Amino acid sequence: MARFVLTRLLQSLAALAILSVVVFVLARATGDPLHLILPMSASEEDFANARKYLGLDRPYVEQYLSFVGRALTGDFGMSLRARRPVGELIAQRLPNSLRLAAFAMTVSLLLAFPLGVLAAVWKGTGIDRAAQVIAVLGQSLPTFWVAIVLIELVAGRLQWLPAGGIGGLASYVLPGFTLGWFVVAGMMRLLRSGMLEVLDSEYVKLARVKGVVEARVVWVHALKNALIPVVTFAGIYFSILVTTAIVVETVFAWPGLGRLAYEAISSRDFPVIQAVVLTTAAIVAVVNLSVDCVYAFIDPRIRYVR
Amino acid sequence: MPLAIIGVFVFAALFANFLSPADPEEQTLRQRFTPPVWDERGSWKHVLGTDRLGRDLLSRIIWGSRVSLTAGVLTVLLASAVGAGVGLVAGYYGGRVDTVLMRVTDATMSFPVILLALILAVTVGPSFVNVVIAIAVILWARYARVIRGQVLTLMGLDFITQARIAGASAARIILRHLLPNTLNTLVVLTTLQVGYVIIVEASLSFLGAGIPPPTPAWGSMISEGRDFVTSAWWVSFFPGLAILLVVLAFNLLGDWLRDTLDPKLRQL
Amino acid sequence: MRLCLGLIGALLSFALIASPAAAQSKPDLTVALSSFSTEVLDPVLGGHVVKYYMSLIFDYLVGVTPDGQLSKDSGLATRWEPSADHKRWTFYLRKGVKFHTGEEATSEDVKWSLQRAIGKRSTTGYAGPLRTLIADIETPAPDRVVIVTKEPTLIIPTYLSRSLSTEGMILPKKYIEATGDDAFAQKPVGSGPYKFVEQVTGSHIKLAAVDSHWRIGVPRFKTITFKLVPEETTRIALLRRGEVDITDVGRERVKELERESFPIHFRREEAILTTWWVLPRDGQPTRDKRVREALNLAVDRSEIAQSIFAGYADPAHVPLGLSWAYRDIGFKVTPDMQYPYDPARAKKLLAEAGFASGFPLTMHAYQLPGLPEGKAFAEAMAGYWQKIGVQPKLVPVDYPAFRKNWFDRATPGAFGYYNVANRDWIGTYAFLEKQAYTKSRASDTVNDPEIDAMIEQVMRQTDKDKIGALLRNVYTRLRSEHYGVPVVYLHSPYAASKTLGKWNPGTVMYDFFLDELASSKR
Repeated sequence: MARFVLTRLLQSLAALAILSVVVFVLARATGDPLHLILPMSASEEDFANARKYLGLDRPYVEQYLSFVGRALTGDFGMSLRARRPVGELIAQRLPNSLRLAAFAMTVSLLLAFPLGVLAAVWKGTGIDRAAQVIAVLGQSLPTFWVAIVLIELVAGRLQWLPAGGIGGLASYVLPGFTLGWFVVAGMMRLLRSGMLEVLDSEYVKLARVKGVVEARVVWVHALKNALIPVVTFAGIYFSILVTTAIVVETVFAWPGLGRLAYEAISSRDFPVIQAVVLTTAAIVAVVNLSVDCVYAFIDPRIRYVR
Repeated sequence: MPLAIIGVFVFAALFANFLSPADPEEQTLRQRFTPPVWDERGSWKHVLGTDRLGRDLLSRIIWGSRVSLTAGVLTVLLASAVGAGVGLVAGYYGGRVDTVLMRVTDATMSFPVILLALILAVTVGPSFVNVVIAIAVILWARYARVIRGQVLTLMGLDFITQARIAGASAARIILRHLLPNTLNTLVVLTTLQVGYVIIVEASLSFLGAGIPPPTPAWGSMISEGRDFVTSAWWVSFFPGLAILLVVLAFNLLGDWLRDTLDPKLRQL
Repeated sequence: MRLCLGLIGALLSFALIASPAAAQSKPDLTVALSSFSTEVLDPVLGGHVVKYYMSLIFDYLVGVTPDGQLSKDSGLATRWEPSADHKRWTFYLRKGVKFHTGEEATSEDVKWSLQRAIGKRSTTGYAGPLRTLIADIETPAPDRVVIVTKEPTLIIPTYLSRSLSTEGMILPKKYIEATGDDAFAQKPVGSGPYKFVEQVTGSHIKLAAVDSHWRIGVPRFKTITFKLVPEETTRIALLRRGEVDITDVGRERVKELERESFPIHFRREEAILTTWWVLPRDGQPTRDKRVREALNLAVDRSEIAQSIFAGYADPAHVPLGLSWAYRDIGFKVTPDMQYPYDPARAKKLLAEAGFASGFPLTMHAYQLPGLPEGKAFAEAMAGYWQKIGVQPKLVPVDYPAFRKNWFDRATPGAFGYYNVANRDWIGTYAFLEKQAYTKSRASDTVNDPEIDAMIEQVMRQTDKDKIGALLRNVYTRLRSEHYGVPVVYLHSPYAASKTLGKWNPGTVMYDFFLDELASSKR
């Protein structure tokens, strides 16, 4: 087990190393941050001075090495735009992103469970189709549009919920729902196919023969087994939630990582771009790793397959 | 039903020149925000009304189906070709090849697709081709993962071993034996992804990195109309409806294909 | 295995702690803005700075009234006077003004602040011209500062006032010397009526009132919070729910909000929206005056004002025409200066210039702060030019990308646009020196020796009437040579909550005069 965890850990680190080069290059391809910092009247000399002051005049290889070196100690440098340590910016934003993702995850699970189970039990009927359509709807509309319509109706007109910004639990509802609904379809599919498989199995048939009440067969025996793939993919969905929240964060003025990345790209803030991408990637890696652990624990065969 | 919807839009895309009642890029500012025909201020000249520059919405949606469908299909084809290639090679050769390719796949998958597209957009400017490339560059990794998984299972089966013993070349085994057996998965995944790509393109438009104006793409139409949800609802509603129908149709088609072709496939 | 479980446990518990609820009640003022510009709270080293929140934290050497007149009541200086040769400007400072640290602001702080503002690392808009102009800063007494210039000049008080950029903001010398620049930017200390509380970059800036301040008396609001809310629908929903008191709104939404009886405050002619082309002009169709005129005649300005800007804009006819300065310099836009909408004559002019079948024209399309209609505007302009036979190609970029191309002269002849913030006559001169003076790096479109000569004369002039005459001539020539395509003056709407009361957002660039709103002196 320890060896399995260690191997997976090393593999994740390798992926992160590749990513660090890619993002270093990509960030610098976006242009020149100085055009946003210096005034219109700045001379060539001003540009040269500023470049030197910000350390952007050094050779790329040197910049990369110092970036990696310091990143390993948790220091991502200073934001060019905000003049604050990048680590501090990330620390401000990351919890907000994680909380929103957790809320959205809960929403999507709450929707996916009944839909998935109903669809499986009544496979091929109108209920199945209706459940599928409801689930897929969330994925069939651009999230920004869903968000805007929700804000206009629920916050602006009915005034039931906050329109934006982060605050109490109520402020999570609209962004959480918008984001959560987007991934319901995938999760519901998993549950449905898992349930179908299990409902067909000897194990459930045996339970039925033994005279266990049908509701109990479905909701306890079958569901328990159909959960395993959901747990596996929960990790992937969690990472999708963290990484695709940028649009939802923009509409709801949510101070999360996605928004930070967007601003960093618009202002060519290299250190922040690098740090956000690597942080998200690290989260994805950690979540996947934990999920693999769980999965390997439940089903030992997996350790050798992967 | 999904097929019928897709059929209608593909038809619209193919014959946009004949179907569209007006030039989708012709602007008449004085007629901006004309409501649809059933509104008392509407007219038959603009059945679904006009947008903020007075362009005919129906024509833009019809032309938009060409742009959005092409973007969706092209991206997915590109991604599946690359992804399947990587997946097949990695699965077949295993060992170091597999390790390297899968680490690259991991790295790609952990790069948020929208961020990459944004970076590309500010670097080289947003354009149809760049949007397609930006999404495909991320999307291939998913195909690679799934296909590799399938190939690993297939490699253990007798017919591959037999082909090897019979002296078949690697290329032959990959193309003649492995690829056909992963086709079902590819078809299902591809169908499901077309809708996803159309939605991602729309999100990119919202962030200013989508298919640029004046080309009528559904995503940018909704994005442009979003500030007028209360004052001129039709500007974002109709392209929204078009996206909804098409993406829903592709998703349901994909689900149906999976149920028929490969019921055990669940990793999508 | 334990490692795994611990990891998951930590993840979950981390994610599930919801942040505490933020209560909103009056005595607090909340302002939602679609854009924050730079968020570094250092007036001098922070990049291009808007003054919305800065002018609450800091005092200027010279104050201004909300309509942009220099004022002896709202700045650190209670009076100022030039020497006879206009090369020595003496400022007399208000006594007893205290920084938020409790220290008194003296001439030493003023000297130090000004030196920092015109220093090499300064990123403010006018550091360059001031650096060239100022020879020395003397502090004969704690309440007196003398600024010595190399040339006779009139511009010093205005350049160091609240009406232009941030050079005139007075900073605490001792505090910054003790903490360093970075620490100061993260926890700025000034002498203004509000002190810094907290900042979450990209989200909000929170300020708290001092007990009492000479500028405004006992502040009406205990706190003022600026929130960054990029999406329009969200800002309006926040206003409707009473979560914000002031917000910028799109011109399209004004009527709807007025129907719901939200007060709308306009900053009239806040900016001139003007289109220009990247130099050099040589080898470009725009080298021909007739082509430049044709491009102007092809545009229906009142239609653009009525449609794209929902009626909250007025046609503009003079390139770079900053209209807030017109009264001061005595410039009038006569009827014959107004461009009619005349596509037929535009076509004729193109044909005469040898472009009967048009020419390809690159038009960049981007959004700008204060111009959410940016892309629609670019599309509309391209549409008009298409109608006279020009073949416009829209190139969507973001503004930083365009600015780089423009500065590097990488796309000669390509078109861009900007909503230039309106300003008074000295501000206008400063702007022309940047944008219309060939030697300036930022100059574009103009490149005209006659105009260069006039601008150089303004630099050395200390007679206000003569400066007025020179600037009038500059504008007349800008118009007669068609240097650029001025389109409209934009009126910018700001919606307020129904309980906010009277507020004059003023006519000073990048400032809202929220301190006036918070004043108990009125």
